[in-house]
Amino acid sequence: MKKIDKKTADAYFRTRTTLIVIYLIIGFCVSYGVVLFAEPLSSITFLNMPLHYYMGAQGAVLTFIFLLFVNAIVSDFVDRKFGLLDLDKEEENESGKAVNK
Amino acid sequence: METQFLVSLTLILATFALYIGIAVFNTAKKTSDFYVADRGVPPVFNGMAIGADWMSAASFIGMAGTVMLLGYDGLAYIMGWTGGYLLLTFLLAPQLRKYGRYTVPEFIGDRYKNDTARLIAAAATIIISFTYSVGQLAGSGVVIGRLLEVNTAVGTLVGVVLIAFYSALGGMKGITWTQVAQYVVLIAAYVIPVVFMALQLTNNPLPWISYGEVVSEFTTLDQELGITEYLVPFTEGTKWQFIALMFTLMAGTAGLPHVITRFFTVATMKAARWSGAWALVFIGLLYLSAPAYAAFSRFILMTQVAGSQIDNLPAWTQSWVDTGQLSVADTSGDGTLQWSELVISGDIVVMATPEIANLGIFVIGLMAAGAMAAALSTAGGLMITISAALSHDIYYRSINPKATDRKRLAVGRWSIVIATVVAGLIALNPPGAITQIVAWAFALASGTFFPALVLGVWWRRANGPGVVAGLLVGLTVTLTYIFLAKFGGITLLGIIDTGAGIFGAAAGFLTNIIVSLSTKPPTQQTVEEVTDLRYPEQLKYENGEVWVKEKAE
Repeated sequence: MKKIDKKTADAYFRTRTTLIVIYLIIGFCVSYGVVLFAEPLSSITFLNMPLHYYMGAQGAVLTFIFLLFVNAIVSDFVDRKFGLLDLDKEEENESGKAVNK
Repeated sequence: METQFLVSLTLILATFALYIGIAVFNTAKKTSDFYVADRGVPPVFNGMAIGADWMSAASFIGMAGTVMLLGYDGLAYIMGWTGGYLLLTFLLAPQLRKYGRYTVPEFIGDRYKNDTARLIAAAATIIISFTYSVGQLAGSGVVIGRLLEVNTAVGTLVGVVLIAFYSALGGMKGITWTQVAQYVVLIAAYVIPVVFMALQLTNNPLPWISYGEVVSEFTTLDQELGITEYLVPFTEGTKWQFIALMFTLMAGTAGLPHVITRFFTVATMKAARWSGAWALVFIGLLYLSAPAYAAFSRFILMTQVAGSQIDNLPAWTQSWVDTGQLSVADTSGDGTLQWSELVISGDIVVMATPEIANLGIFVIGLMAAGAMAAALSTAGGLMITISAALSHDIYYRSINPKATDRKRLAVGRWSIVIATVVAGLIALNPPGAITQIVAWAFALASGTFFPALVLGVWWRRANGPGVVAGLLVGLTVTLTYIFLAKFGGITLLGIIDTGAGIFGAAAGFLTNIIVSLSTKPPTQQTVEEVTDLRYPEQLKYENGEVWVKEKAE
């Protein structure tokens, strides 16, 4: 095993945590935020629907899906930046068979 | 109806044969295979399996109807049940995967170094999953009963036999691949009818884009009739009930043991993130379609059924009137059916669509197979979770730690068979409405597991006494609020029993934090283990230093 700097590891943790906090705030705004301000938002129309209804029926769900994919992609990028995903390891991960054997 | 019966039966049997075939092909051999499918399931397929696991008879049959009856207020279910995956994937799944245990109670017991906590968690797992599966079996009984025109009780028994058989035979591995097949069947059955309905009503095959046209006409239609407006928020409850219900469903989703177990079946933390993302795509497909079903059905009922001559109603209404799901009494005696004279059960919205849109017997049969897939896949996943809690967390960890793999597998299989049969017997005469039972299961999960898991992963100071107190207080507060709101008529800010989880979760968090802080800090070993969860699995935290693991392990 080789050691890596504790500071690097902590920087990794901070980056990941900051990102997650940002995603959760966005997720909170499109769901709870819209519900809290449902009455004023209902005067805006989007795709033939009042905005508060659109966000509840489609907008929030689409934002959640978008955030999860952004997280998955950005996390892979962060892992790579910190040198945690080397190529052959990644291949093993894709096939999913390498761990626990 | 003879042909319809044969087509429905053939489709249901053909899909069952497929599921069982897959289960038999993958018959589990080792213990680790039985519970978590050897951690070899790729993220896309794991996402589909999570989707099938997740989407129950209630989602498939009931949700569109709930949205149709509640209007805007029904959307709390749509946002709550999808938003839960945000909390789960961001806050819990990757870390739980890295900790590397088989079950949720095992994680709680080992993280908090407390056997009492593990036993409480195992008991809570069994209570939550069992309650939920009673609803599933009751739902499958209704579907089989209605579509095959047999007694509901017979339908339930058929479901019990099938679930017990393939869960016990294949374990998680069989179920994972079986559930991929079930997902495909159920989503096809759900999406095809609504696409045709969209074509007929809006000339656009994409219901998700076109149902806005229909929705925009509701305001005028509602005002003409002088009824509660579909699009106006908070007509069915207060704003705080909406928020409390949405929170309960989100936190409950992130704390449901049978959903979390899915994330133990992926290879890495990276795969856990991707599985969560794919799962929400597959789940979202159904949840985005439900409001479209609701809008189209409401439009047809308002324009083609209400206002018609009572002796000249569309032909499809008759069979639903016969089942008691639709009531069209012309009480005013003017020969015309008024909107106020229509009484609709939410359950018919999805099931009646193929008939309303005239899609023919094949699509109706597909619908039956899809509803069965939804009910059986969820029940199967629940049974595995109950069996793991009994045979692994209680039997192996507390009663007989020397048990061999074979012995544990046998205990696991028998507990599935027994749990399924008992749940089936209760489902023959369900104790309440299916959606209500399901909502209570979510409230219990958000009052118990959600605080215990979030603090366990993110707060190193949380300790054994804290989690024991937190689990018990969260459980008590949730149950008390459900009871008070339901039977005592006491509510806070208009929040009713279905929103009880918000109080349970708050109490669970507070208790865990206060008790943890006022008792001894956890051991150095625990602190290290939890710190280790901050980093991906290629890194290991030890004695204040971080190491990169070598490839040869």
